[in-house]
Formats: sequence, C-alpha cells, structure tokens
Amino acid sequence: MNTLLPKNKLRLSSFVIWSILAFFIVIYGLPLLWLFIAGTRSESSLISDPPLALGTFAVMKETFVNLAGYNNFQMLTWAMNSVIYTVGSVTLTLVSCIPAGYALAMSEFKGRKLILIMTLVAMITPSQAIILPIFLEMSLLGLTNTYMGLILASSFFPFGVYLSYIYYTTSLPKSVVESARIDGCGHFQCFVHMALPLAKPLLALVAFFSFVNNWNNYFLAFVLISDDDKQNLPVGLTTLINSSGALNPQAAANNLPIGQPEAIQAAILVVLPIILVFLVSQKYVRSGLNAGAEKG
Amino acid sequence: MPSLTKQERDVRKRKAARRQTLISYILLLPYLALMVMFAVFPVLYAFGLSFFDTFENVFWGLTNYREALNDYRLVPAIWNVTQYVLVWVSMMVIGVTLLALLLDTLSERPAAIVRSIYFMPGAIASSAVVVLWLFLLDPLVSPFSFVFEAVGWDNRQSTISGLGEVWIFALMGFLGNSGGWIVVLGGALSGLSRDIIEAARIDGANPWQMATRIKIPMISKTITLMAIMTLAVGMQIFVEPQLMSLAGGQFDKPDWSVTQLAYFYAFRFGDFGVAAAISTLSLVLPLIIAFTLIFATRFYKID
Repeated sequence: MNTLLPKNKLRLSSFVIWSILAFFIVIYGLPLLWLFIAGTRSESSLISDPPLALGTFAVMKETFVNLAGYNNFQMLTWAMNSVIYTVGSVTLTLVSCIPAGYALAMSEFKGRKLILIMTLVAMITPSQAIILPIFLEMSLLGLTNTYMGLILASSFFPFGVYLSYIYYTTSLPKSVVESARIDGCGHFQCFVHMALPLAKPLLALVAFFSFVNNWNNYFLAFVLISDDDKQNLPVGLTTLINSSGALNPQAAANNLPIGQPEAIQAAILVVLPIILVFLVSQKYVRSGLNAGAEKG
Repeated sequence: MPSLTKQERDVRKRKAARRQTLISYILLLPYLALMVMFAVFPVLYAFGLSFFDTFENVFWGLTNYREALNDYRLVPAIWNVTQYVLVWVSMMVIGVTLLALLLDTLSERPAAIVRSIYFMPGAIASSAVVVLWLFLLDPLVSPFSFVFEAVGWDNRQSTISGLGEVWIFALMGFLGNSGGWIVVLGGALSGLSRDIIEAARIDGANPWQMATRIKIPMISKTITLMAIMTLAVGMQIFVEPQLMSLAGGQFDKPDWSVTQLAYFYAFRFGDFGVAAAISTLSLVLPLIIAFTLIFATRFYKID
C-alpha cells in the first residue's frame, strides 16, 4: 500500500517533465523544420497549403534555378566570398591563437598577466561593441571594402586564445615540458614537437567556433564592405531580399523571379553549412562551451 | 669539471629567462599584432576621434558628446534596449534554468538528444535569423499561424505590433542562444557532487525541493554568469532591428537601438565624431562588466 503512492507521484512528475520538454522541442524544432520543408514549396503552396506540407522536387529545382540566375549568378559570387573570408579568417585565427595560448600557459615572462587580462576583457566585451571603432580605423587606413581588411579584422579571436590557454594548462603538465627542456628541448622546439601534435582536439575546437563566427559574420561585413560583389552570403541574403522585395510581395515593383521560396532557399544556403558542422562536432562544442563559461 | 661560481650561474639563468621571454613573445606576436590592430587601437582611436569635429579636423572638446546626448532619439533608444535586455535576460534565466533542471532528471541518452534539438537553432545567426523570423511572424505562411489566428492576428503587421519589437527580439535571442547555455548549465549540474544529491534523496527531498534547495543554489554562479553575458550582448543589439525593414518600409526601425544610432551618424551623416562618441559611451558598461567579472569573481582562470 505504502509503495503505491510514490510510484504514482513519480509517474505524474515524469509526465509533467516530458510535457514541458516536448513543448519546447516543438518551439525549438519547428522553425528549422519549417525552413527546410518550405525550401521545396512554391509561393502559392506556402500561402494556401498547411505550414508543414511537403513541396515537390520540380518546384525546388525551379526555385533553385531562379535563385542561381539572380543578377548574373551573384549568389555564387557571394558563396565564394564567404568561403574566402571564412577560410582566410579561420586559418589566421588558428595561426595566432594556438601558439599564443601555449606561450601564456607554459612560460613565465614579463607582461604575461597583462596579456591574459586583456584577452579576457576582449573576450567578454561583445564584439558588436567595437565594430564601429574598427570601421573608423579601417577608413583611416584605407582598408574598408577589401578582402584583406575583413579577413584581418575577423581573425582577432580572444576566445580562441583563452581556449588554447585552458587546454594547455590542463592537458600538458608543466613538469613534462620542464623535463623535456632539461633534456635540451628549446622552448620553441617544445611547442613544435610536443604541443602541436597534442593539439588536434584544440585545433578542431577553435576552428569550429571561428568557423561559425565567420560564416555568420553579418555586422562587420555589412559595415566594412560596400561593394556588392565583395559581400558575403549573410549580407548578400539581405541584398537579394531588398532588391527583389521577396518578403513584401504586395509592394514588390519588379519582375525578378525572386519570391518567398527563393528567399527561403537563400536562407537555407546561409544556414546549411553551420548545421552540418554542428551535427558533426557536437561533442567538441560542449567541452568548449563549458571551458568558456566555467570558473577556474 | 670546474664548478660554476654563483655569479656565472646567475648570468646563465638570466640569459635563459631572457631567451624564454623572447621566444614567448615570438609565439605571441601574430595574436598581439591583431589585438593591437582590432582592439586596442580602434578603441583609443574612437576615443580620440570623439573629441574632434571630423569634418574640419579640429578639436572641439565635448561637442560630439553634447550632440549625441541631446539627440531626441537617444532616450527612446536607451529605453527600447533596456526593456529588451530585461525581457531577454529574464527569459534566459527562467527558461534555461528550468530546461536544464528538467533535463538533469532524465537519463543520459534521452537528455543528450533533447539537448541537441535545443541547441540546433543556435546554428542560425546573423541575417538568416531575421529572415526566418519574418516568415515565422507572417500568419500566412508561419508554422505558428494557429497561435496567431487564435488571438486574431491575420497579417505580419498585426503580429509584429501585437507582440511588440521588445518581445520579438527577446524571443529571437532566446531561441538562438538558450541552447548553448542549456549545455553549459547541464555541464555545471553534472559536475555537482553526487554524494550531496544522494544524501538529499535519502533525507526525503522531492524533485522540487531537490531543484530549488540544492541544485539551483549550487549552480547559481553559472546562472549569474549567463545573465551578465546576456546583458552585455543584449545592450549592443543592432542586426535584428536593422533588418526588420526587409519585410517592407513600414517595418523599418533605423533608430531603435543605441548601436543603430551610432551607425546612423557614421553612415547617413558621415559624422564620425558623433558616431565615435556614442561608440565610446556604449563601451563603458561592457568594460565595467568585463573588469568586474575578471577581478571581483573567480569565473575566469588567470593563473
């Protein structure tokens, strides 16, 4: 008799828990699910069919052809630009962050603490806060509207240095490095022969966060790049929608074949690479998020 | 082998230390160059510029600040951002804590799957978020149209004015950012001592008491960190209001947030001085937050 009550209670509480979780699964999952399904549907289907009705392959293809043909294959230019900006910045980020994190973790030198503190300040301060100052500086240097300017500006990644610093302090015992040094391994050699080979998970982690930031880079690209043909995909997406009025069909005064389905597919193009990378690298991301947020 | 004198040893030690310092700085060089170029210099330059008439290049003291502070759009923009930050931070604190605690009661596999689903919307960022939301807010196409119809909103205009920008931007922020923090809080919860949890259970604590009396107090530091970081990011809101005009001129909000105002001065008026003044002012709070987090708490490891 006595055991009956808690058991029922337990079932009730797990029912409540699962109902709340399921409600939020719908809230979180539905927008993305809708976006990907909507990419297969026609303008009229979007409006008259139920929200999650599937379209057809033919419609999807037609939409894609319209999108690809927009302004002389400009989507392709933007996609290429996105690849150039992202590859350039991720590479420079790795080259600058990993050795910096190693140096901060493994040796004592004058100025070390100051550099660490400045790294944290830069990491905690939201990057949006400094975009206009960067624009003002780049105008002074004449680096606005250049590939180099945007790549360099997006390569400064203090979070990557902090991750590297934490990684090396926790995974590479100082005593190991010291004994290697006694055996005649120079500071620089230690980095190349011991720290770098150990750094594979770290490289993946820093590359992941840097990739996501750079592929999604809107504000900085929007401010620094004025030339249509040098824009990246996130800025291009807004150019496409603004020029075609795709999201405002009643007022669109042009005969571009760019409507809501095309805008949706363009948004999918922006989002898809990130989703794929998210799916592949969830494990890494978790450890990184925890390293970035937890107290030491 | 002749033993070295103390002096000779000292000289060697100092030489080695100097060499180590040199090599450390060589390893740090690319990063430091980027830091100077994209953090230190822009901040100082904007600060300097904020005291100049940037059209004539003459020093005019606090005139830019006076102009910025007297702009009739500034107070409404600050009010918008304040409301937005309050709503967003509250949503995050309540929603993320609740979901993390609920997930903590599940066994590992289902919890991991649900957590991944919550994490996915974080993949959509920048302009794509706003584009997606402009569809979600349009009752004609939205998968949430049944909700809008129930309250009688039948077009995008009525949904947007019904919900209000503050709530819309806060919901956008919640959907995109809560998943990552649910992972972080999940990590903090799984790091709690199992002994304490077990002891509380033996003492007869029910799940509610377990959550409110044991788990929440033990992860309150991480929750505070989330609130502070959300606040710092929220104050800089730019992209969401800036891109509302994608749905048409009637949704245009060019001066909704403070960051937009700075942008407005730089790009519509070409007045870099006032833009620099607003940027400098907007940096004060994030910098205070950063220094407080570093020196007054133990969230970050510096040694």
